[in-house]
Amino acid sequence: MYRWLWLRLPGGPAARLVQLVVLVVVVGALLWFLVYHWASLHLPVDPSGLG
Amino acid sequence: MGRLLRLAGELLVTCGVIVLGFLAYMYWGTALRASSAQRTYTSQLTRQWSAANPLAALAALRTIAPGTPFALLRIPQFGRAWQLAIVQGSGVPQLALAPGHVPGTALPGQVGNFAVAAHRVTAGNPFWSLPSLRRGSVIDVETITGTYEYEVTGRPAWISADDLDVLAGVPFHPAEPARQRLITLITCDPPWTGTSRVVVTGVLVRTLPRTPGS
Repeated sequence: MYRWLWLRLPGGPAARLVQLVVLVVVVGALLWFLVYHWASLHLPVDPSGLG
Repeated sequence: MGRLLRLAGELLVTCGVIVLGFLAYMYWGTALRASSAQRTYTSQLTRQWSAANPLAALAALRTIAPGTPFALLRIPQFGRAWQLAIVQGSGVPQLALAPGHVPGTALPGQVGNFAVAAHRVTAGNPFWSLPSLRRGSVIDVETITGTYEYEVTGRPAWISADDLDVLAGVPFHPAEPARQRLITLITCDPPWTGTSRVVVTGVLVRTLPRTPGS
């Protein structure tokens, strides 16, 4: 999967590395600010409340 | 076969990293969000309390919208700087940012039971140390009308998660009419689970009315 992705990125190894880092940061930000936040409110991880 | 195995391995490692990221978010991400919300709530309350007409603000207390901050909670045993804004409501969205007043229970200083729930872990671990409170520990609640000083009346109690009698005017005695001004703090136990609750109850011992300009 990662090899497939690496081979399809344009440019030389340095350019591919930069694109990969950008991709990882974007995916990480989406997870951190959207997906994890949504999941933290909907998964009963610590149901302390009496809601 | 080899390619399939490699693909499965990569997927499993990716899932593991995503789950680890979620755990990190639950611990640090929720704490950052709660801390930022607490700063906003505290400055919002300070502004309101210094500017508002106390009588109008008192009237507004009767119909507080869910998620609205209305009081500051201080427990000196947890540290001199330990202070959290209390919001109205004890649902998941409210508790993600602050301790929440359980709707239907008394307000600070009123006869009855002022019940406040908060996370034991996540959201900055607001009630992590709740089980360490003992008889005589002080709980201060500041509102627009003044500061209410409660004193813990006994050791923490461990109850099942569905025991709602803790919210009665007289905790655990729902048939008895409320006569005292009580506070009940509630969180989960053991941490990271919802199997039972640990609760601490206190009684009002002193009221310090807000003076103009204070």
